[in-house]
Amino acid sequence: MSRAWLGLILSAATGFAQDARQIMQQAQDRAKSASQRYEGTLQVLDGKSKITEKRWTYQRTGAAGDSKAVLRFTAPAEVKGVALLVVNHPDRASDQWMWTPSLQRERRIAFQDRSTRFFGTDFSFEDLEERDVSQFDYQLADEEQLGGAAVWKVISRPKKTKSSQYSHAHLWVDKQRFVIVKIESFKDARLIRRIVYRDFRQVQGIWTPFVVEVEDTNRKGRTMLKTDKLEYNLPLKEENFTLQALRRES
Amino acid sequence: MMLFRLLTLPYVRKHKLRTALTVAGVALGVIIFVAMRTANDSVLYGFQKTVDRITGKAQLQITSGDGGFPEEILERAQAVPEVEVAVPVIEANAGTGKQGQGNLFILAVDMTGDRSLRDYDLESGEEAVIDDPLVFLAQPDSIMITREYAAQNGITSGSKIALETMQGRKQFTVRGIMKPGGLAGAFGGNLAIMDIYAAQNVFGRGRTFDRIDLSLKPGVSIDQGRAAVERALGNGLDVETPASRGKQFESITKIFSIGATLNSLFALLIGLFIIYNTFAVAVAQRRPEIGVLRSLGATRRQVRGLLLIESVVLGIAGSAIGIVLGLAMARGMARYIGTYISDLYGLAQHTEEITADPFTLSMAFAAGLVTSVIAACIPAQKAAQVDPVSALRKGSHESFQESESRKRILGAFTFASIALIFWFWGGKSGFRLLTGYLSVVAAAVLLTPAFVRLLVRWMRPVLRLILPVEGALAADSLMQAPKRTSATVAALMLSISLVIGLGGVANASYASITDWMNAAINPDLFVGPSEQISERSFRFSASLGDEMRAMDFVEEVQSVRTTRVRFDSTLVMVVATDMESLSRRAHPKVIAGDARAMFRDAAAGKAVILADNLAMMHNLKLGDTVEIPSPAGILKLPVAGIILDYSDQQGALLMDRTLYIRNWGDDTVNVFRVYLKHGVAPEAGKRGILEKLGDRSRLFVMTNAQVRAYITKVIDQWFGLTYMQIFVAVLVAVLGIVNSLTVSITDRRRELGVLQAVGGLRRQVRQAIWMEAAGIGAVSILLGLALGAIILAYYLGVIRDEVAGIRLEYTYPFGIAALMIPFMMAVAWASALGPGESAVRASLVEALEYE
Repeated sequence: MSRAWLGLILSAATGFAQDARQIMQQAQDRAKSASQRYEGTLQVLDGKSKITEKRWTYQRTGAAGDSKAVLRFTAPAEVKGVALLVVNHPDRASDQWMWTPSLQRERRIAFQDRSTRFFGTDFSFEDLEERDVSQFDYQLADEEQLGGAAVWKVISRPKKTKSSQYSHAHLWVDKQRFVIVKIESFKDARLIRRIVYRDFRQVQGIWTPFVVEVEDTNRKGRTMLKTDKLEYNLPLKEENFTLQALRRES
Repeated sequence: MMLFRLLTLPYVRKHKLRTALTVAGVALGVIIFVAMRTANDSVLYGFQKTVDRITGKAQLQITSGDGGFPEEILERAQAVPEVEVAVPVIEANAGTGKQGQGNLFILAVDMTGDRSLRDYDLESGEEAVIDDPLVFLAQPDSIMITREYAAQNGITSGSKIALETMQGRKQFTVRGIMKPGGLAGAFGGNLAIMDIYAAQNVFGRGRTFDRIDLSLKPGVSIDQGRAAVERALGNGLDVETPASRGKQFESITKIFSIGATLNSLFALLIGLFIIYNTFAVAVAQRRPEIGVLRSLGATRRQVRGLLLIESVVLGIAGSAIGIVLGLAMARGMARYIGTYISDLYGLAQHTEEITADPFTLSMAFAAGLVTSVIAACIPAQKAAQVDPVSALRKGSHESFQESESRKRILGAFTFASIALIFWFWGGKSGFRLLTGYLSVVAAAVLLTPAFVRLLVRWMRPVLRLILPVEGALAADSLMQAPKRTSATVAALMLSISLVIGLGGVANASYASITDWMNAAINPDLFVGPSEQISERSFRFSASLGDEMRAMDFVEEVQSVRTTRVRFDSTLVMVVATDMESLSRRAHPKVIAGDARAMFRDAAAGKAVILADNLAMMHNLKLGDTVEIPSPAGILKLPVAGIILDYSDQQGALLMDRTLYIRNWGDDTVNVFRVYLKHGVAPEAGKRGILEKLGDRSRLFVMTNAQVRAYITKVIDQWFGLTYMQIFVAVLVAVLGIVNSLTVSITDRRRELGVLQAVGGLRRQVRQAIWMEAAGIGAVSILLGLALGAIILAYYLGVIRDEVAGIRLEYTYPFGIAALMIPFMMAVAWASALGPGESAVRASLVEALEYE
């Protein structure tokens, strides 16, 4: 699992930031890794408290908005082998393809569809992107306490050169570990999505949330992503992050 | 008002049957007009409503006729800055095999982005609609149905339903149920959603989409959006608003509309003579009352006004009844037209409700009213001119004055001249045909009294020969009431001419299509994905043809891809096949060009061959360049030849398959034309193909005879509505005879009473009435058969120049004419039964006291 700001939280360090951009850059730098791999469990709770669970493996190579990621579902059986390839770009929105093994073909997730929900979860396709801090403007809004920890409240706005479904977002960054602990994303004045990061653990020197809880304000449920078997800086091959690889490995 | 109460109401009370017949004369014409127009409007409205529901918020649609285009176009459309959302769509009609449940209309979309354009559920979030979106996409057997369909068939989420696909009958799993409203309301709920990439597989679409639905960014106008998309995609694809799809449908239903309008006008015209007859007799019978009124000071204007008010009341009653019954009939006719269009064009549509267009109803009402008033004008004028003194005298007053006859003949000559001028020098236009047609009818009507006089005079000795007393009485009665007789004969003549005209068209159509079938439909077998040749939801992969070619009993296989493309704002059919093979096997009638050269150039992809009707409708000649839109751009090709071809009512354009594949990026096949080796029976070939391929793919193998029967069935369906209109026209005419004879008997009650008083037998009275009816029938048949010969020429002209561009050969329908003679004589006799009995059963005393 990755996300515009989720990448930033995969870092841990203490320090003092001069301004909002420096804070965010620091967070990104501390979370930086050459590659990443984990197994995730996705629990989607609908409005009637019905829970559906799926598992996936996630692999990423590259970092800071210049990365490629493959997310492959492993369970339940009906969705096993379905994969998503995300190719992030430093200067624009990512390219995304979905691979469906039963049809033996890929489909491109159009840019226009990035605001739609990611297969019934509370994530949107855009939330799966990893973007460089340079693609946003930042403003330090406040310093406050969140869950007993001191945090900076930063407002981020996508630069005009890039497109996003969100007009702006509020980010809460832990002052001590330089990790994002909460994001609220807005469309104009309307809150669209809320993401809360919990259960931070240090893996290979990088502070990482092992539970991510997402809430789409348009629906009544929520989605919880639990991370397991997380590893950083593995030797992953570049050719595993292509459409051919998706087809080959299905 | 007082005059109305004094003169009109007692008369109506006394002559209820005649009043009812007169009202029916107006009503029947109005019924045809309202029923046909409303049925057409309803089919169009149903189609448009379905389009609206299916297209959702789409502002523009990208299509390539109905043939689809490569999926790469999607990314290019999505990259247009003015476009907010562009989503691909495939549509298909899939049989469910469930008795009485019909087909399911399959709307295949890319569920990842489609929800921004279409409302799958207006009430709650996605999870209430689709159990698990990821499973839905991951499993190609996923399908989402409407709650209505689920309820009707006892289906719940997780149930399996079987659908006909290219891979045969296939089980699908219901993984979502749409709540009612919006999209779910289309096709009466017989709608299912599936993933577009799964649909490509199961419906044999390869890597193509049928269309792309677009919504534009806020602030971008439709015109700006269309221009931007056209710039990005080139001009080979159609970029239109969803509403314009309805316009294409309109051009298909136009063909019904023209026929219906002509026939309803004809029925009203026949009704006009019935009304005229009634009023003429009413005036004659009420002369004494009118004379009294005039003596008491009623002005001419008041008398004329009274008659016109009567005609208005009759017109209103007839129109109102006609509208009510027409609307009731429209539902059945709409279903009929809808089925016909579905069968012929493979267009899925569902007419859910009858749409009563206020304009149509107003037109119908006005037509009924105006007909009634026009018919009453002359009798009203006559009534106004009644001299009080002569009016009080008893006896018959009906006669033609010499000057009146001269005027009629002069008028007839004028109209005939107009018809001749327009026929030979009027150019090629609908106006020319309509003016000529109406002039011919007017000339025939004006000449009717003269012909009636002449023919009845000739007929008198014949009638006397059959039955001396009764025959003479009948002939004299007809001659003594020339206006009444002429009006009845005119009505009957018009309906017989209508039967001859339409019957002649039907005969010519069957003959021409049979010729075409003999020349072009000569393969032993046709392998298609459906029992209906027009069905285009399913397509074969080209490799299936290779497999058939490899069968030891198959000599040759022609792969045929048919699609419709926009051509001068109408959709015409492109028939893409192996032209070299076609030139060897089929021998179509060549209208223009050299057969060998045209097929050689077409086979080389350098030219196209046009069907004659396409060339006629679009004024194209040999050597002209046609511009055919394709996904690769506009194809400009010369016309190498024009042949007789009835593949499509809107016209067909033949090209080589390689040219099609190159420009449409689509090598799928609609139909394989299979020629078997010498000595192999078609049934054996059919069995052989089904044994080897039937279990792997959905295919229907039809023998040549079955295909011919299918085509004949489609033509029968087409003429089904025409026959119904003919029936109504004949019914109007029958009413005319009954009306005329009823009037005749009432008019002659005293005379008939005297006849019986001096010893005349009831049998003789009865037979005199029958002879009179036979006389009317015989004269009408003679005139009707003659007028029909001219009417037929006009109908063929309308079909050639206005409706379908089809050049049908003029052949007088002698068979139909021969059938018409006994039929109309029988109808005339049957019409006389009631009046005849009424005449003999009337009280002798009352009869002698009459008047």
